Amino acid sequence: MLLQVNDLEVAYGRARALHGISIDVAEGERVFMVGRNGAGKTTLLKTVAGFLAPTAGTIRFAGREIAGQPAEEVARGGIRYVFQDKRVFTKLTVRENIEIAAHAARIKLAEAIERVVEIYPKMTRFLDSPAGGLSGGQRQLLLLGRALLGQPRLLLIDEPTEGLAGGAIDEVFQVLEKSKGKVAMVIVEQNLSVVRQLADRVYAIKEGRVCSEFRDAAAIADPAVLEGVL
Amino acid sequence: MTFALGAAAAARLRRFDLPILAALFMGLAWAISLQRATDFIIFCIFVLAYDLLYGHMGRLSFGHMLYLGTGAYATALTAEHLSANPLAALLAALLAGGAVGWVLSFITVRTTGACFALINLALNQVGHFLVLVAFARWTGGEDGMSVTFSKIGPFDVGHKATMFGLALACLVAVVWLLRRLTGSPFGILLRSIKQNESRVRFLGYDVVRAKTLAFVLSTALSAFAGGLAILNYAYVTPSFIDTGRNVEVIFAALIGGAGSVYGAIAGGVAYMLISNFLPNYVQRWEMFLGFALLVMIFRFRAGVWGSLVARFGPRRAEGA
Repeated sequence: MLLQVNDLEVAYGRARALHGISIDVAEGERVFMVGRNGAGKTTLLKTVAGFLAPTAGTIRFAGREIAGQPAEEVARGGIRYVFQDKRVFTKLTVRENIEIAAHAARIKLAEAIERVVEIYPKMTRFLDSPAGGLSGGQRQLLLLGRALLGQPRLLLIDEPTEGLAGGAIDEVFQVLEKSKGKVAMVIVEQNLSVVRQLADRVYAIKEGRVCSEFRDAAAIADPAVLEGVL
Repeated sequence: MTFALGAAAAARLRRFDLPILAALFMGLAWAISLQRATDFIIFCIFVLAYDLLYGHMGRLSFGHMLYLGTGAYATALTAEHLSANPLAALLAALLAGGAVGWVLSFITVRTTGACFALINLALNQVGHFLVLVAFARWTGGEDGMSVTFSKIGPFDVGHKATMFGLALACLVAVVWLLRRLTGSPFGILLRSIKQNESRVRFLGYDVVRAKTLAFVLSTALSAFAGGLAILNYAYVTPSFIDTGRNVEVIFAALIGGAGSVYGAIAGGVAYMLISNFLPNYVQRWEMFLGFALLVMIFRFRAGVWGSLVARFGPRRAEGA
């Protein structure tokens, strides 16, 4: 397994957000997490990414314990986190947004731009514009493009289609679809239509615990099954 | 009718910015005086050093006079006790500023916002006390100390034209260095830290290391400006480390437009023009400076340079 989270507990002060949650993700696998708001999905992603320190439990990534490591070390180890809020560096140009990620991933800027443009060809028009002028969908594609630079092994993506219009959702969907098998993903998603079409496996999260796990493609594709656990 | 530079024209202008800058300061020296123009240049170097921290990385310091003063006293003490060679004294200023900045970075760089500003102010106050009282035996206390520098071949920094040439060469070198730095991935990193530090960490950057490097560079260059000032005046007093004078560099950075090498120079020159010539006509000139700053904040938030670029600079496409 690439990622193994065992009995993870996380608290915000006295309020416990995760109660001994356990998940695992294989190389190249696309794992979705569904659940109501406040179930602990984002907390789990943030803890794996090094933003929050767990109070108990282990997180093993590629055979190495990473629980409590700072975010920059986790990122350097090959885990990229795409936040829910779609915040790019708005005052930098799109080119500079790509450059800072390319430099961190130790790849050349030209190659990085080429790879982002492959994902979203229209991005060439905005390379020298401030990233703050991009629409929500374009920002999400820029963030996904940046996260995919330098061959990461695991992407943590928080609600990639939230707040996007139909066309933008399709474009994000295509990016996730094209990356199948190349990089493992843990995706928090409320849009069950996207989950049904893309998921290799689904965890349903409730009150900081895994309440169900779906491995069977037929069960995942069945609208009644996922809606039933929410 | 609107006028805007094309991107190609702007790039051509940028290629010749250093000769243009040198020519402008030579013109300024001709218009006012060599001594005053040298003062202007040295202050501009200080503003450039300050703006690396404030404009590019978003850290407002209320105590940067500490680093200017460190350079000033390092230069004076080196000339007095080690070597009267002005270049050796300048090097001592640069190293002393960097060393003090590096030691203090363990306290300062982990803080942000008001905490960062006030910690620097507190450290500045400590430095002022050390110079004025604790180390008065070596620094001359309130009276300060006079300094004599030796000649380097035919060059004598006591000669106004030589000092002007040295200061101008230093300014050109500092502008070249900062332009390279701020245009590099490191410069982009600093601007990203200014906008969202935690997101930069998720890209895999060691943010503390980047902030420490920027802080030390800023303190070293501030000290370098302090060293040049002592070469120019040949004496040092506690006014070079006075906390009350921090407002000068902050005003200059704001007036010029924070986050731009050219903005820092525009701000430095504008502030020096106001503070040097306005007192001849207006008794309480500081009040005018306050009004000028209010106008800048409400009407021209990007400062003189930022407003000029917004008005005449190349246009950029907007996202959909």
